[in-house]
Amino acid sequence: MSPAPDTAGRLRRLLAILTWLAQEGEAPIDEVAARFDLTPSALVTELEMAACYGVPPYSPDQLLEIIVTDETVSTRVGTALARPRRLSPREGLALAASARALLAVPGSDEGGSLSRALAKLDRALGGPAVEVELDAPELLDVVRSAVDRGERLSITYYSASTDQTGERTITPRHLFASEGHWYVDAWCEAAGGVRRFRVDRIASATPAGPAASEFLATGLPVAGNAGAGSVGDGSAAVGAFVPGPDSRRVRIAADRSMAWLLESVPSAVEVGEEGDRPVWEVFVAGDAWLERLLLRLGPDAVVVDPVEDGDLAPEAAARILARYRG
Amino acid sequence: MAQPDRLERVTDLLLVLLDTGRPLSLREIAERVPGYPDGHDARRQAFERDKRLLRDEGVPVQTSPIDGEDQAGYRVDPEDYYLPDLGLEPDEQAALNLAVAGVHLGEPIGREALSKLGMGGSWPRRGAPLPVVDLPLVDGLPALPVLFEAARDDAVVSFGYRGGSRSVDVAGIRFRGGHWYAVGWDRDRLEARTFRVDRIDGLPTRGAPGSADLPEGFDTDEAFAREPWHFGSGDAVEVDVAVDAAEASRVVTALGPDAVVEREAGGAVVVRLVVTDVEALVSWVLDLLDHAEVVRPAEVRDTVVGRLGEFVGRGAVR
Repeated sequence: MSPAPDTAGRLRRLLAILTWLAQEGEAPIDEVAARFDLTPSALVTELEMAACYGVPPYSPDQLLEIIVTDETVSTRVGTALARPRRLSPREGLALAASARALLAVPGSDEGGSLSRALAKLDRALGGPAVEVELDAPELLDVVRSAVDRGERLSITYYSASTDQTGERTITPRHLFASEGHWYVDAWCEAAGGVRRFRVDRIASATPAGPAASEFLATGLPVAGNAGAGSVGDGSAAVGAFVPGPDSRRVRIAADRSMAWLLESVPSAVEVGEEGDRPVWEVFVAGDAWLERLLLRLGPDAVVVDPVEDGDLAPEAAARILARYRG
Repeated sequence: MAQPDRLERVTDLLLVLLDTGRPLSLREIAERVPGYPDGHDARRQAFERDKRLLRDEGVPVQTSPIDGEDQAGYRVDPEDYYLPDLGLEPDEQAALNLAVAGVHLGEPIGREALSKLGMGGSWPRRGAPLPVVDLPLVDGLPALPVLFEAARDDAVVSFGYRGGSRSVDVAGIRFRGGHWYAVGWDRDRLEARTFRVDRIDGLPTRGAPGSADLPEGFDTDEAFAREPWHFGSGDAVEVDVAVDAAEASRVVTALGPDAVVEREAGGAVVVRLVVTDVEALVSWVLDLLDHAEVVRPAEVRDTVVGRLGEFVGRGAVR
């Protein structure tokens, strides 16, 4: 049970119960209590008290009509404070955006219930004003069905941090979208641990038989709470970035005009100045990742520490030029 | 006698304010709602606390001038408080609950919205769990609800953006690739524009409902600048980029299959992009390291080669 709420929390809960109950008409006490995270006796106490609220002349608009019996509680739709209430802009946005986000997940609305709910919501809120686009990687369905069925997958995976393509066998466990991209947390047999993969970097995936039961029992970090996990791919995986055990700190001096790019790196922190230019510190999981960042920052950005990393951008540039001249 | 429960007083206050057709003075309110102290100052203080609580909970308590000693009157207009019933069927309610459960906004605001609509509390889960979607919403983006409201109300908005000031008729807001965007008609530049919401300075100022004047037949989907290289205002150039097998699947996922003009057996592709901001395109191509190469036109290819040439020979100073 949650700690006892203050008056505002109790009012919110009372209105939530009344508005829900008005649609049901009557419901068993145990069900209502479980639903609103109360003990049955606390629910009865709260509702019996609220049944006495109201002001003269105690017309239906001036009274909370709540009936508590031994087994059930009930109210009526017309009862004061039991009707649906207007949403604040933030609430309306939250609801419409959640519905749109789920609709953007392939296969999430096969019966069309969500689309119909959203159409009614849009009508009440004043038109569709929000859209959510999510990536739809070709192999999303394959990964998702492996999660649902507890299957292993043999994958070809391109790791952006090391710029290497390799074969791995994984047991996908938790699929989620963050910052607009799809990720899967999976047990990686080669690494002997949980790794996070970007689904759009999986070039091929073939089912490789049922997962060993101990991997299915392993607790995995969930989206937004990834601190416990290791990250297999510390690339531009913004929301999903956790500095891995092998990452190093690198300091880069760049013009203030490039701040927008550095600010998009989740680990980047401004740590001082070099001459009249700001210095940022970033966590680097692989040389390829740093090469990408330096090339995008332009030739004037300088690696301050460690100085050896100053060779990375010229070397990468030469490698790319070889492709253009090849 | 025990102190009356404050929840009772606040609930009764809400009932009285909703029921009154005209603004009530504090004296009239205290006559109708039991539980307010007798002393003038104590009563005023208690009422102000209750009023603040209701407003914090989203109840639109109006204050208006009235004749008499108190000068200010209070009421809640039922029109502003209640929502016409949405008429959601049970399966539609369940679907909305799944959406709120599966989409993480960083705060429980979706659940609060459901409570107001009569879908509060926890819902029993059925069937296989759906994937979770993280959607950064109001956290650090105070402009977003304002823009959303403006799009719904057809209100013009003004805001600071990249050091300038913009006046925009907002057609809609969109989430893509980890960022929120506002799409609309820029009144100063007289063209459709896309703005990244996290780069808007402070809170936009919203005009009156109906003050927006979107051009006839404005197509939000068409106007939306999806990729960084669509943002510039240069002439549109078609650029072909060859991408090798290692990065092909990610690039095709990001751009959509329609961008592919050639597909090789080994998995490499050539994609065609319409570019109005060459600098943004160069940045994108360099991010693909030697997995990508601008094939044509020659000017863009030369820009990339020139940029790369500037790096060579600038190695670490030891």
